[in-house]
Amino acid sequence: MNSLRVTISKTPRAAWPFVAFLGLFFIGGLIRPGLMSIESLLGTAAFAMILAVASYGQTVAIVQGGIDLSVANTIAFTALSFLTLTRSLGVGLALLVTLALGAMVGAVNGLIITKLNLTPIVTTIAMNGFLFGIILLLFRSSELATIPEAVSAVTSGRIEFLGTSFPAALLLGLILMVGLQLLISYSGWGRQLIVTGTSAEVARYAGISVDRTRIMGWALTGFLNAIAAIVIVGFYSQASPTMGASYLLGSVAAVVVGGASIFGGSGSFVATVGGAFVLGQVATLVSVANLGSNIQQLIYGVIVLGVVALYGRKKKA
Amino acid sequence: MTRFRRLFSSGGLARLRSEGATAPIVAFATFFALYIAINPEILTRFQLQTASNLVVPLAFAALAQMIVVIVGGIDISIGAIMSLSNVSFALLMVNLSPAIAIPVTLGIGAAAGLFNGFLVAYFRLPAIAVTLASFFIIGALTRELMDRPGGGISYDFFLATSGELIPFVPVSVFWLALFSVALYFLLQRTRFGRHVYAVGSNADGLEAAGVNSKRTILLAFMLSGVTVSIGAIMLAGSTLTGDPRSGDAYLLNSIAAVALAGVAFAGGRGSILGAILAAFTLGLIGNFLYFAGINSSWQYIIAALILLSVVAIPALVSRIQAERRKTK
Repeated sequence: MNSLRVTISKTPRAAWPFVAFLGLFFIGGLIRPGLMSIESLLGTAAFAMILAVASYGQTVAIVQGGIDLSVANTIAFTALSFLTLTRSLGVGLALLVTLALGAMVGAVNGLIITKLNLTPIVTTIAMNGFLFGIILLLFRSSELATIPEAVSAVTSGRIEFLGTSFPAALLLGLILMVGLQLLISYSGWGRQLIVTGTSAEVARYAGISVDRTRIMGWALTGFLNAIAAIVIVGFYSQASPTMGASYLLGSVAAVVVGGASIFGGSGSFVATVGGAFVLGQVATLVSVANLGSNIQQLIYGVIVLGVVALYGRKKKA
Repeated sequence: MTRFRRLFSSGGLARLRSEGATAPIVAFATFFALYIAINPEILTRFQLQTASNLVVPLAFAALAQMIVVIVGGIDISIGAIMSLSNVSFALLMVNLSPAIAIPVTLGIGAAAGLFNGFLVAYFRLPAIAVTLASFFIIGALTRELMDRPGGGISYDFFLATSGELIPFVPVSVFWLALFSVALYFLLQRTRFGRHVYAVGSNADGLEAAGVNSKRTILLAFMLSGVTVSIGAIMLAGSTLTGDPRSGDAYLLNSIAAVALAGVAFAGGRGSILGAILAAFTLGLIGNFLYFAGINSSWQYIIAALILLSVVAIPALVSRIQAERRKTK
């Protein structure tokens, strides 16, 4: 009994969403035995991975103690830029320019937040509105139907596995997760970002250049949002000025369900993937049980509330 | 005359300045002067009426967001509460009289505020996370009630909320003014109001002084919920319909208006007049561009730039002053 308690308390927080995901998966199997298959698991995982990829940028923002409400239109802006640029520059160059654009959007957010002391919420809302204007002025989305083959191949293209197949986006998302997790857990900058997110004052006393760490963090957020944009374009084969809307709060939900503190300093990419998997499995169960999207949203809310009640209490001063 | 002077010296201007409302007032004055220069027609009865119907719901949403921000929170569910109240009101109006539909709708707004406020105050959960959860939950309830625009708003009700009180005075502005004065007295002239401001700047200190800060936070969220639902009723009146998506735009816009009003996001500060003028400015940009013959997509860019400059310039000035003092 005691050893069980020790095991539970020693399990890293990032593991819990995966435990919940597997629990939901088995519940699905009990409701409908057909759901208990590798195909079903991989199908849910692939869709959930798209939300996870769209939430990587948000993860960085929340870890450093901010929140990114410009994710919706950063995704739409970079996606439409990518498709437009591809026609004149080719896929490779367009990809580089698009990622640079994303990083630039993030860096501007970071500069405003650190140098002008605006709160991240207000700054990113302003950026979101600004980008929406740019999108409406620059792009005519009806012309942007063709998706480059190389992009489709690494996102919606299928990979053979154990006699079945899954979309390449799943693998791509996992590779990104591992890379980003290594960056944030083991690089000097990653650790500085976490310290900064926990307490900017402590970080300053530790000799960390807080502003520079922050700006780099925001640039990474923008860069990751641009990656998400390209993955979404490839996976769903479409792009529109409102394509990012559902990721605005969806990304925050995935990060929070993963167990990150909304006050910063904790959270990981692995946990975000776990959070997205939980939300994705709920969506699968709800659609199998034919309950409709309202019930799905309701359950999302209850899950967010439950996770926040578990982890999110304000410390008493 | 002395009373007039006092209004503008000690009580009036000084308070506005300390609440950070100078910038939005200057911004609004500049904007409105430009607006009239480009489109003198705004001063016709019809245009005044349309323009105020457009911005009054946003002003209510901004005031509601401001109340939550003053107690140190933020409300992500504000658009969802707006939609829920809007839809509920339109449905209630199918069979019931406004005398019943209005109080029930205000009760729904208060209940949403109670839900958020209870979790924030008594469970010490972060407002942003609680209201994210209620954004999903309230949104689901709303679409369960009504999945496409409809309901039973009558033309009589349109006249009562969105018509003209007397020539050149839109009713919507009258209702907003009436509410704002009441809110002013509640926040500035009562014990509850002082606690609201105090709890945002120092909740623990207030608790130590023997004030029930939890109850203050709870009541502030409920007041905010009621304020949102008044905005939702005004919106239903002016559009003659209930719409489960009608509140969506108010989430980001209400936060933008509160930021433009110079309300501190650390809590403890916020001017009613500032919030209303900020909402008017942001709400009228699209309208203004239309009359200036400019592609109205520019409104999003201009709103962002106004927000950035109005909020950032004071920050920049004080930063430069601080650095100059340091070098001296």
